[in-house]
Amino acid sequence: MNAQAFIPEINALICGFFVLSAFAMVVVRQIGACLGVFIAQSLLLALSAFVLGASPFSWHLYAVGIVTLLSKVIVIPWLLRRFVPGEIYTLREISQSIDVPTALLIALALALVGFVLGTRLVTAAPLLATQNVIVGLASLLIGALVLAVRREAVPQMLGILAMENAAFLAGIAIAPDFPLIAELAIAFDVPLLAFIVAILTRAVYRRVGSTAVGELAALREHPQ
Amino acid sequence: MSIATTFGLNLLQLAFVVGLAPLFSGIAGRWRENIQGKRGPSIWQPYRDLRKLFAKEDRRSESATWIARFAPYAVCLSPMLVTLLIPVLTDFPLFGAFAGDMLAAGFILGIGGFFLTLAAVDTGVPYGAMGASRTRMVGFLAEPVLIVILFAVSFVANSTIPYIVQQQWVHPPAHFFSPAHVLVLVAFFMLIIAETGRLPVDNPLGHFELAMIEESRVLDFSGRSFALLKWGSAMKMVVLAVVFVNVLFAPWGLATTPVLQALAQAIIAVFIKIVVLLAVLVVVETSFSKLRLFRIAEYLGGAFVVAVTAMIAAVLSP
Amino acid sequence: MILFVAVLLPVLAALWCAFPRSERGAPVVTASFIAASFLLTIWIAACTAARGQVVAVGDWVQVDAFAVVLMLAIATVSFGAAVYSTGYIAHLNPPPQRVRLYYANFSLFIVSMLAISVCVEPGLAWIAVELTTLLSVLLVSFADTPEALEAAWKYMVITLLGATVAVLGVLVLFWAQHAAGGTTFTYAGLAADAHRMNPVLVSAAFALLLIGFGAKIGLFPMHTWLPDAHSQAPAPVCAILSGVETSAVLYVLIRLAATFRAIPAVHADLWFAIFGAASLVAAALLIVQTHDLKRLFAFSTVEHMGIMLLAASITTAAGGIGLVWQMLSHALAKSLCFFAAGGVALVAGTTEIAKLRGLQARAPLVGTMLLIGALAIAGAPPFAVFLSELAIALAAVYAGHVWIAVVLLLFVGIAFAGMMGKVTSVVLGREDVHREIGRLPRSTAVVLVCAAVPVLVLGFWIPGGLAHLFSTAATEMVAP
Repeated sequence: MNAQAFIPEINALICGFFVLSAFAMVVVRQIGACLGVFIAQSLLLALSAFVLGASPFSWHLYAVGIVTLLSKVIVIPWLLRRFVPGEIYTLREISQSIDVPTALLIALALALVGFVLGTRLVTAAPLLATQNVIVGLASLLIGALVLAVRREAVPQMLGILAMENAAFLAGIAIAPDFPLIAELAIAFDVPLLAFIVAILTRAVYRRVGSTAVGELAALREHPQ
Repeated sequence: MSIATTFGLNLLQLAFVVGLAPLFSGIAGRWRENIQGKRGPSIWQPYRDLRKLFAKEDRRSESATWIARFAPYAVCLSPMLVTLLIPVLTDFPLFGAFAGDMLAAGFILGIGGFFLTLAAVDTGVPYGAMGASRTRMVGFLAEPVLIVILFAVSFVANSTIPYIVQQQWVHPPAHFFSPAHVLVLVAFFMLIIAETGRLPVDNPLGHFELAMIEESRVLDFSGRSFALLKWGSAMKMVVLAVVFVNVLFAPWGLATTPVLQALAQAIIAVFIKIVVLLAVLVVVETSFSKLRLFRIAEYLGGAFVVAVTAMIAAVLSP
Repeated sequence: MILFVAVLLPVLAALWCAFPRSERGAPVVTASFIAASFLLTIWIAACTAARGQVVAVGDWVQVDAFAVVLMLAIATVSFGAAVYSTGYIAHLNPPPQRVRLYYANFSLFIVSMLAISVCVEPGLAWIAVELTTLLSVLLVSFADTPEALEAAWKYMVITLLGATVAVLGVLVLFWAQHAAGGTTFTYAGLAADAHRMNPVLVSAAFALLLIGFGAKIGLFPMHTWLPDAHSQAPAPVCAILSGVETSAVLYVLIRLAATFRAIPAVHADLWFAIFGAASLVAAALLIVQTHDLKRLFAFSTVEHMGIMLLAASITTAAGGIGLVWQMLSHALAKSLCFFAAGGVALVAGTTEIAKLRGLQARAPLVGTMLLIGALAIAGAPPFAVFLSELAIALAAVYAGHVWIAVVLLLFVGIAFAGMMGKVTSVVLGREDVHREIGRLPRSTAVVLVCAAVPVLVLGFWIPGGLAHLFSTAATEMVAP
């Protein structure tokens, strides 16, 4: 038994944990814990890139992994801690639009849809790692659910970033030698995104007094 | 291999579970105290408790019927029956191997719980009824998790007979890392915690009747009945632990031939595996606080989601 | 090389704004750099009209006729908005820090939009689209009121969600091309390899890209953020967001359409027509019940995106001409509308329709321009939008899609009635004597008048070079 045979299985295991982290994002209430889940998920993405890049050896995937580590595991948490008022992180979010068990069941249904669509896709063309695509699609949908369920600014934003993670998890499998964009996008877009979100969150906190952006509903067709 | 040998080995397995169950609960109890910075009781304390309880008078409330008398035996017998179905020490099928599958094992364990629930109501103590209803709530939520785990297992192994399942996850060894396997492990671990009434679902050491789930059912038992209940729950714990370590997690170290040396090695290996699992359980238990009653639904909902994901992964894995 | 200069010039303005105490010069510096960029764009357009394309880095950064029309629209509107900002922002009198932030962000935002038009590699184009969102969020929240912050948040969340879906679409497209043995990952390269690609993958990519970019374009039912963001931002930013940003994203989608059309199983044109018609219908019905001038024009943007998507679903060259023409005329007319609405906000302090009456008597310049803008965008003759919409309707009839023409004319008519009913009450209604009327800053007034000129001129006469660009762009679209 050589190490080669373990690579697909270990990658599959990482994908398994990845989809778990997507579910965890739906479940955890504390905002700080949500950030923790996101960091863990980004680590898994980086790990998957390293494992897939190991054989056959690919600099591209290693670069994706390293950039993910730098931007999502180090820079983004630092930015969010630095610019968003600290008391938010210990806050428990109790004002979700639907309760957690219901959200979990919806997430489950979405995951099923993602899995089924993913399996249709992976049979279409040869592929480095099929699980990445399946899990990526499922996690993408669950991320969208996080966005819909959460009302606090930081978890909503982490939902977007989780979707981005999911898209790139699929991406490293389907387009391992994608020209430039993956590295560039993760390296610059994502920290910029986090920076702007942090500034905006701080502004909302200052003007409105909380960061429950889901409660903001002044803009509509017929104001009362 | 003669029937007599396999039957004898089955009895050996039974002896292992029945004899060592109090020791395992003693070890867990001691470590729990150690982690909290206390010295804790001796690991042999459960044996002393049992001896003391067997010697005491068995008092029962006047309104109680035969159910209250019978329940402790049911609680004690059900894990013993399950022991006959699962690979405790050997990895080749024994006398009772094909008498029932994992679903049957779940149901047999359920019979014990069923009688205990009835008995708790039967004694007429309000706490007993309250505990009974709460246990049923946890049970209702835990049942689908078990069923889905079994689905996932059967998709992979094409069987739910424990002796057959245990071989599937490690051949070839790379399969050990397959997502379905890991997710099943996570879900089953969460299930063990809920089924055996441990933190964060229930606090087995709690002394506040209103907050109890499992323990409040046995408040009105004494003497031999109470001893049997304690022993039975310790055995249930060991049986679940054996299913976890031998069938699902690490089916290594079991005896492959019915010779004495292999069996002795197996006993040591299984003992170590269970002790390691206990250590993990104790760490989990001491690092979480108890969930509010209605959050248990979320906890088991999480376990359910993990189990379903495992099943999907098992079905869809190429 | 000239492409890089034209696109990246405004970065210098942003750098200038990074220095402390640069707020006094920031408006002029920004406007002049963007003006330089605008002039270069005209030159690039002339070169493209003469030579067919201008290449900076082959297969990565280059423009052809279609791209250059978009670039022209972006540069023109941006130039107008930059000059307009000098008076408008000063009139709001924000703290110096915010002035610098505004102009720096503004310049970078324009760079990101110009970048969309010059990138022919879908991955780069995606990055540019994502950057337009990121760089404009803080412009939308510029007013720093709870409403503006809400609008900015919705805008950011929904469009970034779309961008995330779209990036997966781009990756799947790359995968499909590589699995089919193609290597040139550009719009043209994709279209060339399209017939060899796996239909399942292309369908998936199409769905992901239509949903992803559709959210950013503001297609129904993903339009909910658009009226909020496009009404809460400062008027010059609204003009850019509504006038060219949405079209620029639509441009990326239409550029990829040739790839999707190559595979009949995808039904790209059908989906374009469905989403286009839905957006047009929904927006026309929403226009009737808006209560705010800027929201009115924002819904009109949803309507026009629907019209352009309908035009894209007509695969003839005539449809292509209509589409490109509509893109340019919409950009010019819509920016005029928002400049006028900004003028209303400055002189009357509000844009709520119910509170505005008889603007014509108190502020004749703003009133007239508002009326002209509304007429132009609603599609009245003799303005540019009228001609382009007519061209699309005719193209639909000639191509055999009569229902497109019917839907188009019917709902453009409804939108016209709804919009004119509101705007005429604002402009011509009985005079409201209690209202304080302020003065319009000079630069704002100048831009307001100048912005009306091309809208009117293009309604009568299209310069030969531009007409040539239109027809070249249309043939590029049909047969890349």
